[in-house]
Amino acid sequence: MRFARSTYPTPQLIDNMKTPAPSLWKATFAIVRKDLAAEFRSFELVSAMLVFSLLVIIIFNFALELNIEVRKTVNAGVLWATFAFAGTLGLNRSMSVEKDRGCMDGLLLAPVDRSAIFFGKALSNLAFMLVVEAIVLPVYSLLYNVNLLRLDLVGVILLGSIGYTSVGTLLSTMSAQTRTREILLPILLFPVAMPVLLASVKACSGLLAGDAIEDILTPLNLLIVYDVVFIAVAFMVFDYVVEE
Amino acid sequence: MQPRPIALKILDVVSIILLAVSAYLALVFAPTELVMGDVQRVFYFHIGTAWVGLLGFVLAAIAGIAYLATKNMMWDRFEVAAVEVSTVFFFITIALGSIWARPIWGTWWTWDPRLTTAAITELIYVAYFMLRQGIEEPEKRARFGAVYTLLGGLSAPITFMSIRLAQSRTIHPVVIGVQNAEAKGDFGMTPDMRVAFFFALFAFTVVFIDFMWHRLRLANMQEKAEQLKLKASM
Amino acid sequence: MFLQTTPDTSGYMIAGYVLSFLVIGIYVASIYIRNRNLKQDLETLQSLQAEKPKKK
Repeated sequence: MRFARSTYPTPQLIDNMKTPAPSLWKATFAIVRKDLAAEFRSFELVSAMLVFSLLVIIIFNFALELNIEVRKTVNAGVLWATFAFAGTLGLNRSMSVEKDRGCMDGLLLAPVDRSAIFFGKALSNLAFMLVVEAIVLPVYSLLYNVNLLRLDLVGVILLGSIGYTSVGTLLSTMSAQTRTREILLPILLFPVAMPVLLASVKACSGLLAGDAIEDILTPLNLLIVYDVVFIAVAFMVFDYVVEE
Repeated sequence: MQPRPIALKILDVVSIILLAVSAYLALVFAPTELVMGDVQRVFYFHIGTAWVGLLGFVLAAIAGIAYLATKNMMWDRFEVAAVEVSTVFFFITIALGSIWARPIWGTWWTWDPRLTTAAITELIYVAYFMLRQGIEEPEKRARFGAVYTLLGGLSAPITFMSIRLAQSRTIHPVVIGVQNAEAKGDFGMTPDMRVAFFFALFAFTVVFIDFMWHRLRLANMQEKAEQLKLKASM
Repeated sequence: MFLQTTPDTSGYMIAGYVLSFLVIGIYVASIYIRNRNLKQDLETLQSLQAEKPKKK
């Protein structure tokens, strides 16, 4: 049984293949560079995610009446709910842009391994999410007088974001090709990404409550397992969701 | 189109009889549990439907892999049938559990690992149907469906593990295997209860096969209608 | 925790079994209805198919 099949050039493309196809890494980074360059010109994706995140935090502020007592226990939950919502916003946009402007067809025609497309999109999605998180964390620390800028916490958030964006990239590639598009992504993504959110919240709230790394090893291990399993699976099945 | 094959007719009758006998065993034959009363009888159908529900989700994931490997539409029809029948049965499982929990735990719902995982699993398969509905080309629908059942089949056990490990306490009873000391509503099965229990497992397995068969016939007919429509439009 | 007398929870039991059979019944009905509609569709399509060559 073969899961991933490398893409061989079609006869029409052979002519363009005078130079050998770029390596997986080169192709991946070319896609990341393209996405970052496009984003750097307008900042429309990151700025939308950012404003949206801040609005979500404000909603939580009123919905949960985040006073000192409540905050101790819900900080991690509020943060991850914010990241998850902002994440779907970014994932949706980043994929539908490719689809609408016909970039996806161009990428698929390029003589590169299709896993390069997956890794490229996943990495740029991760980059957008990390930029948003890098701004939300200090702002949240400032607003609520907690110190979220800790290395261990950032590490957990990085692990969670990796798992979330890898599954998210696969599913947004699928949802972008359906009739219902934007509405569908969170419905597809949230139940499948539930373990990531669960483990991340658990690990983060443990750290914020002052637990040592040894005490949060269980959710941490789960996060790593999820990341490895789902990156592997998403990579293996990505070919099937971009086939035309 | 083709009339129902004899074997399917027989299976229909057998399913009805087995379901009736299983209900009789559960409602009359099995003794009343002393602490919980009659509501404990809900347990037999709860387990029966849960078993075929999970069986169907596993079969669907396997069918998904088989489809991706062979690109044979037969596997896609099998996958849809399995997911649909299982979603119905699993809904019954959750509803019965909730009805049982009301008098025993004093609440319709609690965020116990098993309950939460069950709810998320059911939602994954509802999302599966929404995904399929949004795609017109049958071939693409099959591919995306297969990928999603695969993801769902992997994610559900991890979800269960994460909740189980994150909160070490669970109040859901474990009747077979290691008993859970903290479970509320646990009980030991008498031999008569065991008869009703295993019969329910057997009866629901047969009913599941019967439903799968009907659903597959339906899918085959849908396929035929789609082909005819394509021909007619040409 | 242990009650002296067995509580009467038969109402919940009846509700549970009624619901189970109701859901199963609805599903059987849905398969039956979909089956019937498809049969009608197929018959219409086949009669269309039969008419077509005549038009040529």
